[in-house]
Amino acid sequence: MSTTTTATTKLWGGGKSPFNVEYGKLMMWYFLMSDAFTFGAFLISYGTIRFSSNGWPDPNKVFSSYPGMPEGSHAPLVFVSIMTFILILSSVTMVLAVHAGHKMDKKGVVMNLIFTILGGLAFLSCQAWEWTHLHHEGAWWGMNPFLNADGTQSSTNFTNYFFTITGFHGFHVFSGVIINIIMLIMTLNDVFEKRGHYLMIEKAGLYWHFVDLVWVFVFTCFYLI
Amino acid sequence: MSNEAVLHAHEAAVHQVHGDHHEHHHHETFITKYVFSMDHKMIAKQFLITGMVWAVLGGLMSVLFRIQLGYPDAHFPWLQDILGKWWVQDGRITPQAYYALVTTHGTVLVFFVLTAGLSGTFANFLIPLQVGARDMASPFMNMLSYWFFFTASLVMLSSMFVETGPFSGGWTAYPPLSALGDASPGSKTGMDLWLIAMALFVISSLLGGLNYIATVLNMRTKGMSMTRMPLTIWALFFTAVLGVLSFPVLFSGFILLIFDRNFGTSFYLSDIFVNGVGALPNEGGSAILYQHLFWFLGHPEVYIILLPAMGMVSEILSTNARKPIFGYMAMIGSLFAIAVLAFLVWAHHMFVTGLNPFLGSIFVLLTLLIAVPSAIKVFNWLTTIWRGNIRFTPGMLFAIGFVSLFISGGLTGIWLGNSALDIHLHDTYFVIAHFHIVMGVASMFGMFAGIYHWFPKMYGRYLNNTLAYIHFWVTIAGAYMIFWPMHYEGLAGMPRRYYDYSIWESFKQFADLNRFISTIAIIVFATQLLFLFNFFYSIFKGRKVTQQNPWNSNTLEWTTPIRPGHGNWPGEIPEVHRWAYDYGKDGRDFIPQTEPIGADESHH
Amino acid sequence: MEHTSQAAHLENHGEGKKEIWRVTIILSVLTVIELALGFWMMGIENPSTRTAIKGVIIILMLAKAFYIVGYFMHLKHEIRNMIMTIVVPLLLFVWFITAFLYDGNSFRHLRNTYDPFKKERSEMKVEKKAESNEAKPEMKKAVE
Repeated sequence: MSTTTTATTKLWGGGKSPFNVEYGKLMMWYFLMSDAFTFGAFLISYGTIRFSSNGWPDPNKVFSSYPGMPEGSHAPLVFVSIMTFILILSSVTMVLAVHAGHKMDKKGVVMNLIFTILGGLAFLSCQAWEWTHLHHEGAWWGMNPFLNADGTQSSTNFTNYFFTITGFHGFHVFSGVIINIIMLIMTLNDVFEKRGHYLMIEKAGLYWHFVDLVWVFVFTCFYLI
Repeated sequence: MSNEAVLHAHEAAVHQVHGDHHEHHHHETFITKYVFSMDHKMIAKQFLITGMVWAVLGGLMSVLFRIQLGYPDAHFPWLQDILGKWWVQDGRITPQAYYALVTTHGTVLVFFVLTAGLSGTFANFLIPLQVGARDMASPFMNMLSYWFFFTASLVMLSSMFVETGPFSGGWTAYPPLSALGDASPGSKTGMDLWLIAMALFVISSLLGGLNYIATVLNMRTKGMSMTRMPLTIWALFFTAVLGVLSFPVLFSGFILLIFDRNFGTSFYLSDIFVNGVGALPNEGGSAILYQHLFWFLGHPEVYIILLPAMGMVSEILSTNARKPIFGYMAMIGSLFAIAVLAFLVWAHHMFVTGLNPFLGSIFVLLTLLIAVPSAIKVFNWLTTIWRGNIRFTPGMLFAIGFVSLFISGGLTGIWLGNSALDIHLHDTYFVIAHFHIVMGVASMFGMFAGIYHWFPKMYGRYLNNTLAYIHFWVTIAGAYMIFWPMHYEGLAGMPRRYYDYSIWESFKQFADLNRFISTIAIIVFATQLLFLFNFFYSIFKGRKVTQQNPWNSNTLEWTTPIRPGHGNWPGEIPEVHRWAYDYGKDGRDFIPQTEPIGADESHH
Repeated sequence: MEHTSQAAHLENHGEGKKEIWRVTIILSVLTVIELALGFWMMGIENPSTRTAIKGVIIILMLAKAFYIVGYFMHLKHEIRNMIMTIVVPLLLFVWFITAFLYDGNSFRHLRNTYDPFKKERSEMKVEKKAESNEAKPEMKKAVE
């Protein structure tokens, strides 16, 4: 800690990082910023089209099923809540992995990474089920079987945006899982142990939390309001 | 988080670069040195030369469509022999080819030349050298950035050779023309390739931009505080920030466009009837949404193009006027203000599209605010050279030319920023004149200034001065002769992107003027070839640089050897003790940044 | 500034796991409240009440985002200047969202004003499908 005192006095003086972080983490943060603008642009476009439409389907009518649900029943918000909690919990295990990394606790890192990967896979499976289910109901890009909440004809943009944005998010989850698997392999091979620090796990963690963060917005915009 | 771990990691990284450098001189093959190089200087040269190839192609396209505009009745059978039937028929540029040329000219010059060629070159070249770093934060990502750009170039180039021609719906690629393959031949394969090329380009600029930001923040040498950095670095830093935050929005817009083109969605489409196809089922989308998304990038993009030029010009003016830059902090402040405002004004490109007029009025206000930081910069440049001891090097001439063009083109921006005036001026030659002067030619001048000024550092040789002076005078005179008359045409209502004005009673009067413009354009283009000759000839045969610091400049790049190797400084990276603009201070011509502050030195 | 960043680091070393569980509980509670509001909203027809509930949900969403970014992504424990470089650019979203949605709303007005045919059609109920998709007499005219 004694270094911090001298470090903070002349943080911006050059010769060191003004934020006390290595460049990789800084780049990851700014990459996530730019990715936030990608998702932001998608969601804002969705909002713009929704504001320009006279009607919009009621999400509770559309997303009201879960696997193995008895025929004819109606269970809005149930399945998506499960998905949300899966992603939150996988985020928690990721934090725990990063935390274990700081303590150089290899076993903790491995265990928590495995949980995170499983969470990611579970989320992807849920999404795959939901997409298939909607597809069976006749929904796809350019096809919208659902009516507006007031019973009028809906434009296809409801499903267009739903599949595009959740698809793009799912793609991020998928790549996050891949990254985490790579991290797991590297941890098992003692790469970080030899390197003396687990900072890579931290960067992978940032990406994973970002995926969770985006889901918070997607979940709200598509399923709740 | 553990501070120690981070600090050690950072130190380790520094050592690695350091060690790299000492062990680097042996085993460098042709491939690792010139092709897949990770040296920021080589990557900069790769960006520069690729950009130059595109500049020639883009310039050539403008010559071709200026031939059509200047000589609508003439026949050039030899053009058909060179270009083939798709482009030229009966010795005349075909209408389809004309639109393809206009579109590709715009795309190529805006993105490939003035974004990749300008900030790709100079951010790569100058950031590590001027902040005192051995290389970029991540040399590998830097290399990827170039190769993504190169791939984008190849895809864009290949779109010129497809059967239905390259995309021809204008560089802004507005739907529905860009979304419907049935709408025009140019909207078929050419548009798909255009989108792929642009997506690759976005990735390239993102990889580059993240690297530039991380390098400027993290890799500054000891003593190089943010307020001691040369203005070039500040400008390139803000450029990178603009790119990182705005390109993703374009990317999203393109993804939606790809879905509209290929997967039957209606993000941008509603109520469309295509001749020969009939009514389309698409409903509920909005073409204006695309324009919003496009210009959310598009407006920052013009500052991505302009800011690097501004930064280099500030540096070159101060160095060659042998005076400190006037208002250093005000310069940084106005760069920051421009960077912020860049994100707030995009819809001023859309005043007549059906944008809500009240919203438009707010965009007018925000747009006109840009005049404030721009004026601050202009006055600071003028006061920097005011009563300076000016050395008219070619770089300096181009820098002064930049200021002149920025003023001339910027003033017409105030006209266009008003939504009421824009009803008359929108999509006329007035707009063409405005943005070509202020963004196109001005940034080209900034680029030329940078090339002439830093060529000795890049290649260890000088460019030929006589050719450079010819290049400058013809180009500045030509630029004004080409674009000044266009203001009058635009005020008279002459619309842009028309194939042949001679059939319009109202625009027949401009036939002579159009011929004049076209003739000058050809001359100016030929003069650029002179510059190219100068450039490539001087790389191999130019006068050798014998001094380490040929311009008596303060900045760090001139403390490196004349031909720096990978790692830039053979020994320790120098420490910085002062800002970059101590010219003509205490009776001394210049005091390099590396010199410690003397005991009895006056304050600036 | 020096003080706070130092303090944050010290604090962080002390807390660690406890903080993670605390944030987990907060996030879960927020999600449960959001879901409860969502269920509650299903039974409500009054458009202004619905809008108000949607507003509350959006605020809760932002709170969740704050906890994820601040604690899970550790931003709160970074140096203040770094926090600023990330938070300040996000302010651009304010105008980004405002202008886009305002213009979206304006498209709707334009279309409804100048395209009466379309407006009329957009008010027509789809009878056949409405029945098969469960009768919904309670949803006669939900106004946007």
